[in-house]
Amino acid sequence: MTLIDTIISVWTIHQITLRTIQHLYMFSIALIISIVIGVALAILVYSNPKLANLWFNVLNVIEMIPELALFIFLLPILGLGEKPTIAACVLYSILPIMRNSYTGLAHVSNEYIEIAKAIGLTKNEILLKIRLPMALPLISSGIRVAVVYIMGIATLGGLIAAGGLGVPLQAGIYRYDIPTIIVAALWVGTLGVFFDFIAWIIENRLARRFNPW
Amino acid sequence: MTKIYKDSRVINDLSFEICKGELFVILGSSGSGKTTTLKLINRLIDPDEGAVYLNGNDTKTMDSVKLRRKIGYVIQQIGLFPHMMVKENIGLIPRLEKWNEENISNKIDELLTLVALPPQLFRTRYPNQLSGGQQQRVGLARALVMDPPLLLMDEPFGALDPLLRMQLQNEFLSIKRKLDKTIVFVTHDIEESFILADRIGVMHEGKMLQIGTPSELLFEPANEIVSKIIGTENKFKAIKFLQAKDVMISLDKGCLIESDISCKEAIDKMVTGKIDLCIIKKSNSDIAQISLIDLLNEKDKERSIMDLGNKLSVFAPNDTLSSIILLLKSSKESIAAIMDHNKVLGIVRINSVLMNLI
Repeated sequence: MTLIDTIISVWTIHQITLRTIQHLYMFSIALIISIVIGVALAILVYSNPKLANLWFNVLNVIEMIPELALFIFLLPILGLGEKPTIAACVLYSILPIMRNSYTGLAHVSNEYIEIAKAIGLTKNEILLKIRLPMALPLISSGIRVAVVYIMGIATLGGLIAAGGLGVPLQAGIYRYDIPTIIVAALWVGTLGVFFDFIAWIIENRLARRFNPW
Repeated sequence: MTKIYKDSRVINDLSFEICKGELFVILGSSGSGKTTTLKLINRLIDPDEGAVYLNGNDTKTMDSVKLRRKIGYVIQQIGLFPHMMVKENIGLIPRLEKWNEENISNKIDELLTLVALPPQLFRTRYPNQLSGGQQQRVGLARALVMDPPLLLMDEPFGALDPLLRMQLQNEFLSIKRKLDKTIVFVTHDIEESFILADRIGVMHEGKMLQIGTPSELLFEPANEIVSKIIGTENKFKAIKFLQAKDVMISLDKGCLIESDISCKEAIDKMVTGKIDLCIIKKSNSDIAQISLIDLLNEKDKERSIMDLGNKLSVFAPNDTLSSIILLLKSSKESIAAIMDHNKVLGIVRINSVLMNLI
């Protein structure tokens, strides 16, 4: 069998097209939720600096729990399937998004804040019109880290009946089916690199546009 | 007002008044409290003692956001938000005030035209696509967008190279004439203050040492510190900034005689008025001077003085001293007449000007 025949046969046997769609579905939902939560938390923490340490510690602890252990925590609550997988992805990727967003919000140069105040912007307007947009390059680099996290963690969903590209990967590992392992792993890797690249382009654009002189 | 930072009185019992429509320059070295004073006006800082009154109302009783939207603010160098296009920078506050889009867009174009930036070229640029001078113009346009009666400027030209600074100062003066606004302008640059100011307040260690017109500060400094800050020992440097109205000898009514009298009548007038030089206004552009000796030497005493006298060069009150001196030098005259709207205000005598300057 030639290389291409092997790939095609692995692809069809394990329904990799379907698995990819499932995978990207979980990926996008998890990404959107973690962006919303991550940025919202960053704003919340930014406006209540006293909470900052508490939140970052909580998220650091979550980050330190091994993925599999986290699944075990989540299974009794959310059952099997997509939900706990998405929840795990979100829990892991909130931290990088939130940390970067917080840094971005807090480090907008004071001169801009002063002039914004001087021309008559309220505190909230300064946050929404000045701080948040100026933090976008940093927020987007946080999202970029999250993209890679989620792409990887979602494959563990294969263990708990969530579908996605974790399924052929796990199947390959159980049966010691090397072609399947390689094809599935390479494909997940390719997708990861691809989305990371897209995120990089966006980040770069933002950085160039928002970089003051 | 007094403002205390960590036990030091940054603003120390400061009290002064700014008149409507004037360009008031606060001149002082760094650390003199001039920027703090500016921030006290739009309540970026609140005073520890005292208050700022705007048209008689204590600013503490006003809503600070509303107050600031009515006060234009321009600062040095970084002032434009880098993530917003020129039109967004200018239109930021109108949009927050919920103007309709058409009004905003018209206002933006009007202001860009005012600051000499063609709207179709500049509306959609980002600040990092503009030169320093262009950024500063956009900054001025943004400060003017709410049509504020009061404009605060904190060394707006400080970061520009000298050539560009001079050009912008001149442009700013002509824009200022069109606008009729009260402007408070902070600078440490004496030349700049002389070029722009109607009145200058000299600040030092949180106190206002003296307030006056450029020539008052130059010729009558209140104390040694003022004289040091202004550089009164180098008065001749001010030749570039002093204007005719600062150095002219204002005309006693007696010195100006009508042109339709005879030589004899003129002599009578001058003798009774005890003057030996007089100015004759023959027409709105034809001003002449004549001395008593010339009149006495004139044989035909019945002659109308219309035919006598030496024609004088005429300048406007805000022509600079240096331009007057240059012109007089080339025409080998030593005296010039200053006229404003067909009214003779006074004369400038090079000799007395030089005596004053050195």
